[in-house]
Amino acid sequence: MTAPVLEVRAISKSFPGVKALDNVSFEIRKGEVVGLIGENGAGKSTLLKILNGVYQADEGAILIDGQQVTVDSPRHAFDSGIAMVFQEQSVLNTLTVAENIFLGREQEFVRFGLISRRAMNAAARKELAKVHLDTDPATPCARLTFAQRQMVEIAKALSLDTRIDKHITILLDEPTSVLESREVDLLFSIVRDLRDRASVVFISHRLEEVLELCDRIYVMRDGKIVAETPAKGTTVKELHTHMVGRQLHHEYYRESRQAKPGDTVVLEAKGLARHGAFSDVSFALRKGEVLGVAGVIGSGREDLARCLAGHLSPDAGTLSLKGKPVRLRGPGDAVSNGIGLVPAERKVEGLVGPFSVSENMTLPALSRFAPSGVIRFAEENETARGWIKRLNIKTPSTETMVGSLSGGNQQKVVLAKWRVAGVDVLILDHPTRGIDVGAKEDVYELIRDMTADGLAIVLLGDTLDEVIGVSSRILVMRDGKVQAQFDAPAAAKPTQVEIVGHMV
Amino acid sequence: MNRFDLQTWLPAIVLGVLVAAISVYDRGFLAPSNLITITGDTMTLFLMASGLTFVIMLGSIDLSVQAIASMASCIMAVYISRYGIVAVPFALLGGALAGAFSAIVSTRMRIPTFISTLAVSGVVLSFGYWFSDTRSVNIPAADRDMWLFWITGSFAGIPGEIWVGLVALLVLSALLQLSPFGRLVRGVGAQEQAVVASGINVDRVKFFAYVLSGFMAALAGVVMGARLGSGSPTLANEFLLPAIAAVVVGGTAITGGVGSVWRTFIGALIIQVVRIGMTFVGISVFAQQIVFGALLVAAVAITMDRSKVLVVK
Repeated sequence: MTAPVLEVRAISKSFPGVKALDNVSFEIRKGEVVGLIGENGAGKSTLLKILNGVYQADEGAILIDGQQVTVDSPRHAFDSGIAMVFQEQSVLNTLTVAENIFLGREQEFVRFGLISRRAMNAAARKELAKVHLDTDPATPCARLTFAQRQMVEIAKALSLDTRIDKHITILLDEPTSVLESREVDLLFSIVRDLRDRASVVFISHRLEEVLELCDRIYVMRDGKIVAETPAKGTTVKELHTHMVGRQLHHEYYRESRQAKPGDTVVLEAKGLARHGAFSDVSFALRKGEVLGVAGVIGSGREDLARCLAGHLSPDAGTLSLKGKPVRLRGPGDAVSNGIGLVPAERKVEGLVGPFSVSENMTLPALSRFAPSGVIRFAEENETARGWIKRLNIKTPSTETMVGSLSGGNQQKVVLAKWRVAGVDVLILDHPTRGIDVGAKEDVYELIRDMTADGLAIVLLGDTLDEVIGVSSRILVMRDGKVQAQFDAPAAAKPTQVEIVGHMV
Repeated sequence: MNRFDLQTWLPAIVLGVLVAAISVYDRGFLAPSNLITITGDTMTLFLMASGLTFVIMLGSIDLSVQAIASMASCIMAVYISRYGIVAVPFALLGGALAGAFSAIVSTRMRIPTFISTLAVSGVVLSFGYWFSDTRSVNIPAADRDMWLFWITGSFAGIPGEIWVGLVALLVLSALLQLSPFGRLVRGVGAQEQAVVASGINVDRVKFFAYVLSGFMAALAGVVMGARLGSGSPTLANEFLLPAIAAVVVGGTAITGGVGSVWRTFIGALIIQVVRIGMTFVGISVFAQQIVFGALLVAAVAITMDRSKVLVVK
């Protein structure tokens, strides 16, 4: 067994009110890919941020090559051979690809007192080649897609490799959550190539990926490491059990509760198109139905979802609600017509962070709670209490700031908000993104509750597996067009293979 | 939580300390008649700052309030001898229109409010000059007694202007705390995109906030004109900085989302007491804006959690 290149000994870290890390020890050996998994709030990101110098540990030590070190800033970490790819992107959109990759290290390209763009771009091209990103280094990052920017971020971390002599460690904090399968495969092959020069710590919620990529896996729960296991011979189910500390429900997507859709068509699209995004999209969404939309990034499904929710306007085609044609000029029109959006960016568009749980829940229907112009606080609180109970939201009270809840409970508040508003159609854009396994199951349960109550749902799933498991019908999109439709009754789900064939 | 509580109470504590400090210098300071005078003198500033509170809570700014107050005093002074009491609603309407104009420019053309209100401020200033023929316009004593007694008179031993201020305090506090409009103002300041995505017409919320700001600035101008017995296109000059300072010193966050009209009331009193304190210490009136500027910076520094603000623009 080789000696650890990076070791963490008995680290603890507290934030006001929570012990984020409790006596955590782990090690990474030379050329090893180590997986780090756990539910949200288990302490994974905190641990990585300590390694990266963003936070300082309250207790414990970090050792690099057996030497105790202090890492007090990301720059310091970088110079010590630790680079991090952040969960939330740290790419600056107004700078070019090359400028982002070499941010803070421009000195290396200074010729006669000025930055040589040619030298910098040439160096950037080499870094981009490593991630197989075929982009001009002089392109501003704002023009790249989300996934491309993620690749730039990874290239930036990998650039450490050409800069430092010693063995390096790369920390990947959920790099795949926004990538499509092709890009994930690419990333994995890059990571495998790196093994002789670097060690990698990989955080992901997608356990299949962790098993595929990693040599060894640490499982965290409540700020502690609860299990350490070699990837070989471990199953997803075992990892789940470690993470949640209990057996998973045998029926993950609650297929047995999948309702047979009603006959009433609630939302109908005919020849819907938006220039540069999608064209000729037609479907009829029935009461109690979950219509899944599958597709890779660039398939146009995100823009389609935003058009259905009034956030974007289609250029052509018609949208009808319960048989009546409607034009949605903005989210306001959508909401007044009974269409709500659960956005992918929960903290940006889903919730007002400093608002209380009850204030968020009543936001779209606020005027209903103030018929005389004065908000009826008692009624509002009672409604909120009802939904907290019904959706099993874990919050100290209705007055708690929603921003202080966990991701899963925040997502439940978003769902409750649309239930309070009484929408008929709900567009779910990655409703389980970044929430832990237990909360995901709750969300699936809630989707079944909603369809049972007669809501119609359009679902853009986080994974294909989720789309198949939850939906009663699936629309497959590629390059802005609907390629295929599948019925997905509970008893006869299409397989991933069948669908993937139409996606790429 | 500690920080939050301190922020809520700090302005009141500061006010108490200031009052105590001055009363050590001058025992007469705490006499009821003196306190009433000081409160009365604070009202114009408070009226202006109270409407501004809504705009700042949106996370926006209104730089046109002093120009609007001056213009309103001119409209009122010119019209009062001709049309009587109607001059007052005219002046208030002028302020509301100016506010509406700022809001429309910034929401329709998507221009930062810092720019739109600065531009409107220029327009309004010139309008005031034109309307008053660039002069100070006298309000005849007879008209003043007849139509403006509710400002200059006294009820139950308390000057009318204080009553006006108290009514504004109660009405605007209720608007902010109890009405959907108030909550939406807070929501827009805290996380605008989420409010938009909830189907709320955010432009309308902003529109009403600016109308309110313009209206209250005009009311401040009317009260100021009534007290001085004249309207002038430069009447409210040097009120902008203290007005913004009053809002922020009271504890309303300059970044939006947090604040109250009560806090602004305390903030305006602090500004006034500081002003008096400076006179005691012997600081020239002309140098007082230095102190207001410093106070504003200090208040923003205290109320903003700057560790969370990564960049400053």
